[in-house]
Amino acid sequence: MRNIWIIAKNTLKLEIRDKILYGIIVFGLLYVFFTLFLADLVLKEPSMVKAFGLTGIYFFNAIIALFLGTTSFFKDVDRKVVYFILSKPVSRAQFVLGKFFGLCLVLLLTSAILGVAYVGVVLYEHAGFDWIGLTAIAMQFLEMAMFLAFAIFVSTFASSLLSIVYTSGVFFLGHIVSQLVTDAKAINLGGIRLWLIEILYYVFPNLEKFDARDFAIHVVPVPFTSFALAVAYSAVYIILLLTAAVWIFDKKEI
Amino acid sequence: MVDFSHLTKAYKKKVVVDDFTLSVDVPIFGFLGQNGAGKTTIMKMIVGLLEPTSGTITIDGALSSHPIFKKKLGYMPETPYFYERMTGMEFLRFCDELFDNTKSGDTVTARTSHYEEILKKVGIFGARNAEIRTYSKGMRQRLGFAQSLVNDPEYLFLDEPLDGLDPIGRREMKEVMLALKHEGRKIFLNTHILADVEEICDEVGIVHRGKLLYAGSVKAFCEGKSLEERFMEVVGAHEKQPAHA
Repeated sequence: MRNIWIIAKNTLKLEIRDKILYGIIVFGLLYVFFTLFLADLVLKEPSMVKAFGLTGIYFFNAIIALFLGTTSFFKDVDRKVVYFILSKPVSRAQFVLGKFFGLCLVLLLTSAILGVAYVGVVLYEHAGFDWIGLTAIAMQFLEMAMFLAFAIFVSTFASSLLSIVYTSGVFFLGHIVSQLVTDAKAINLGGIRLWLIEILYYVFPNLEKFDARDFAIHVVPVPFTSFALAVAYSAVYIILLLTAAVWIFDKKEI
Repeated sequence: MVDFSHLTKAYKKKVVVDDFTLSVDVPIFGFLGQNGAGKTTIMKMIVGLLEPTSGTITIDGALSSHPIFKKKLGYMPETPYFYERMTGMEFLRFCDELFDNTKSGDTVTARTSHYEEILKKVGIFGARNAEIRTYSKGMRQRLGFAQSLVNDPEYLFLDEPLDGLDPIGRREMKEVMLALKHEGRKIFLNTHILADVEEICDEVGIVHRGKLLYAGSVKAFCEGKSLEERFMEVVGAHEKQPAHA
């Protein structure tokens, strides 16, 4: 556990010194503040601030997760910095887990920064303290953690560029797969085509489970079961992905 | 004592280290060979970065890749790469923390003094708070050497430690190695620079195409000729053997 924490802490320290990350956060903050004007232009309603704000936070965190997940682990291995670490009393599993938790800490930090800006903007619009919005951001964070685990898993066997392609693909499919099944059933699609869509549904994560933005917009508390399901769902996926990542990385010739 | 017993490493059908057997019990031992001879692969297997295809490496009777042994070991990789946005001091601290030296009861201040001593020893104390991305190649080599010393290792494995250093730097690093030898540490170094071997190694191992061609003292190896001349003779004779024709 100790080595995992040391590697995680070091990953956080290094990533927050990256100017690209600062750039993304600054744009994220500008966007969240800009929602005030966007909302004024559309309906002059706090719900629009929430809709634009939460979607913006989701978008910028997704960029950060994709950027960190596909580069951080891969660079350490590709540039052989890992030689210094693995020649010390550190196992490969500890290294993989340390990188994952370190990147999660970075995402937690960016989610917190953007979340505080969002709450401030919603308060400014006299819409009260948006607990539901914060819950939605927490659920977005769970999705991004899954996203990171997938990117690290792919980075154990693919290049940074391929990792971006695969991770983006899974992200895209993860958001449409449940809709695909619903649509296929609605038009009575059968046979092998329905069967293939159902395989996609069970293989790829259903990322729609993490979308609680509508609850915040319509000021309806997120049901506890939905939140608990999202936590359990992401935990299972993350454990499976990291187990596979450790297994592959353990066999990798570095 | 370090024992290599029938050590073999193969990548698919390509054998990189071939039935390598050797016992070493001298303060400074140098693996000498051309680029691609298999020296780095052997060193990576010693420190647990690579798994041997077959055979074992034991140090004082224990497997060298065992986590407990790793606490007694310092390793400097060839052409070291670092976290560019860290300072030299931060990098040493990070490496040291991975050894869990907190159990030794040292305070943070004591550990910091320890890092400072190491950085002074390798000659980059003045740049300790500068980001590594600003370091020259020679300074990176020195930092790579410095991190291998953070845990006061009994055994040091240095892969081409003098590469990229200017003549003064080479001299200083050799002096540091000799001082470490006098402190009772065992040093293994990989090099293809014959003059370094002649100057500081007690014994050498000539490695060519993954095979050990000679192990013993430099003097006995030279047989009155220069090291370069003998090295060319031995490697040349091995090249002419039918299996390598």
